[in-house]
Amino acid sequence: MARKAKPKERPTAPRTEAPGRSLAWVQGLACGALVAMAPGFAVLGGVLGAPSWVALALDRAAGRPVLRSVALCNAAACVAPVRAFWAGGHGLDAAWAVVGGPLVLALAWGAGAAGWALAEVCPLGVRLVLEAAAAARAVRLRARRAAVAKEWALQD
Amino acid sequence: MAALPDAIAVDPARPLPGAGGGLPACAAIDRRATGPGLMALAVPAGLSPRARPLADLPGKPIESLLLPLGLATAPGPAPGARGQYVICRAPPGPALAETPGPWPEAALLDQVLRPAAAALAALAALGLTHRAIRPDNVFRPAPGQPVTLGAAWAAPPAMHQPAIAEPPYVAMCLAEGRGDGHPADDVYALGVLLLCLALGEAPLIGLSPDAMIRAKLAHGSFDALTAGRRLPALLSDLLRGMLAEDPDHRPPAALLADPMAARARRLAARPPRRAAHGLRVGAEPVGDARSLAYAIATAPEAGLRALRSGATDLWLRRELGDSALAMRLEEQLHLRALPPAEASSAAEALLLARAVAILDPLAPLTWQGMALWPDGLGPALASAPPDRQRALGAMVAAETVAAWGEARAQRADPLPRRAEARLWRGYLTQPGAAGGMRRLIYELNRLLPCASPAVAGQAVAQLAALPAALEAAAAAPSRSAAGPVDREMLAFIAARQELGAAPPPETLGADGAPTPETQLELLARLQARLHPVPLPALAGWLAALAAPRPSEWRNPARRVALAAQLDQLATAGMLAPMLAALRDPSALAADATGYAAASAECAQLDAALAALAEGGAGRAASARRLGQELAVGLGIAALTTVLGMALFG
Repeated sequence: MARKAKPKERPTAPRTEAPGRSLAWVQGLACGALVAMAPGFAVLGGVLGAPSWVALALDRAAGRPVLRSVALCNAAACVAPVRAFWAGGHGLDAAWAVVGGPLVLALAWGAGAAGWALAEVCPLGVRLVLEAAAAARAVRLRARRAAVAKEWALQD
Repeated sequence: MAALPDAIAVDPARPLPGAGGGLPACAAIDRRATGPGLMALAVPAGLSPRARPLADLPGKPIESLLLPLGLATAPGPAPGARGQYVICRAPPGPALAETPGPWPEAALLDQVLRPAAAALAALAALGLTHRAIRPDNVFRPAPGQPVTLGAAWAAPPAMHQPAIAEPPYVAMCLAEGRGDGHPADDVYALGVLLLCLALGEAPLIGLSPDAMIRAKLAHGSFDALTAGRRLPALLSDLLRGMLAEDPDHRPPAALLADPMAARARRLAARPPRRAAHGLRVGAEPVGDARSLAYAIATAPEAGLRALRSGATDLWLRRELGDSALAMRLEEQLHLRALPPAEASSAAEALLLARAVAILDPLAPLTWQGMALWPDGLGPALASAPPDRQRALGAMVAAETVAAWGEARAQRADPLPRRAEARLWRGYLTQPGAAGGMRRLIYELNRLLPCASPAVAGQAVAQLAALPAALEAAAAAPSRSAAGPVDREMLAFIAARQELGAAPPPETLGADGAPTPETQLELLARLQARLHPVPLPALAGWLAALAAPRPSEWRNPARRVALAAQLDQLATAGMLAPMLAALRDPSALAADATGYAAASAECAQLDAALAALAEGGAGRAASARRLGQELAVGLGIAALTTVLGMALFG
């Protein structure tokens, strides 16, 4: 009786964790540490930086261009509140006091909205410029071709 | 040919009746001197004068002969057209045809035979023949004076000879196709002239040429012409020799200058075999081999039937008793082996031509009921109506002359005949406008005027006269839109062989006529070699036609400039600079290079335009990427500004 051949064991690739997953763990730990150690900063960052967090959640494009634009503009609007928070003792009360100001909140969120608007409008503007340049070049090329064809009686 | 002095002019308004021996003649004026009067003999339209006598005879010291002085052109009988004229001395008196009554023997010997024989001997020494000895072309200044032979140079040889004056093998030919013949044929004609003068009238009056030929063949020329009439003994002996059937048996002209010596020359010739019962071929029965050959030549269908049926063979063996001739006929023609169904008309005609040559080695070349000597083919073709011309063309294409020469090899070497047969066939079958029937006609008629409509009526027989004639034609308002050189003129130019190789077929248009540029090239060469004087009208004509071709000159502006340059050069009248401008190699190369560069540039521009048209998606992607980067940049700028303001107050 012939012996059954043992099935050949396939080499299995070592399991590797996705790099984003450990980063999420690190971020979670950092956020937890921030909430535990500096709850004022966490409140301030969480409320004023809400547009950036929304963009972080929604922007799935490569390089996250909308997130970068929103975050930069949002950050620019948060510089003054952060200074006021720091000058007010940088406690939880001070944080609530800062974020309670409607103007501060509107400015920070408006800046985030402006960043989103820039990320949407700038490509349109650039597109307009490129199309205009292409049209102008086509006109020049056609003129040159017509001149050469006329000089040598070439057919179109 | 000797150039005719400018001082000699033709005066067509002063006709000279009877001076041309049957050809129209008029006075010619020599402004230099007051010597003997001149006359101009009109060359028949569509025919060529005799080239060799016109080239060899002027200036030769030959007495008793109206020598040619040269060839001239003058207004001809047709209105507005010029014709060719042969200039020679005017006859010294009236023609012998106008002299009534029989001549005494002594006068015939002293005043006719001796001077005429001396002239014929001089001609024979030059390798020439007269071929126009007849009563209306022999002249006498006054009674008792020696006669002068008339001119015989303006028409093909023996063309105007009556059948009585020629031996049967010449009389049966087409009038234009009798050829230069042999000096002995002149002796025969002189014998007939002597006989007519001795009798006081022409014998065989009232007989048709065909009947005359049959009578001469059946009874021999002397017996047929004298018909038992009494002649002086000396004259009778002389005429018997002069009218011998075989030209080799006739006394040479030099010997006739001494009639007693000529009389003493007797050649024993075997009398021809005669059959007891005749063989009917065609209309009448024949009784000897030569008459049979003549009957086959004149009635080819009946002759072919007689040959195929074996009747000829039987008759030759049983009735004529000439088995050797019958065997030779069978050996050469293989009549029994020839399947009748496969024989074409050309093959049948070839067979008949060979049969005639075997039966009668003296006979001329025969073809489909026609007879001619090979050296008479040129005038016969030139004067033939289209259907006869086609028949003669088929004869040339079948190289019949070679077959005929081989069938009568005992009379003459067949090799020259074979060579000329191949040469003629080559001209006829040569492709392109430089070949064909017209080329053959011009080859065989060296002084035949060009029949092209561009120079019609100008009697241009030599290439040297062509540029001036074309200059005159170019000035006329009715000039052709296709240019001066057509197929006809191309054949004429090619036949004169002054330009070497004929234009290649790719330089010819759809109708076989040369393109304007080829015309310009041909005529520029002609002008440079033969007529180096300005031809402004012709140059203008060619400049209008030979415009730069778009397929060769690509740049329109350059074409316009070149056309203007051609017009400017045309005013100078020289064709070679025009051709050089039209074929300037450096300008052509520059034009071709520029065209290639322009084509490449256009292709590049087309590709760029296509890329622009198809690049919308790419530009959109680039715009999105650049726009987002721009937004990020603006965000960085805002953040940097705010941070700076926070840090520095």
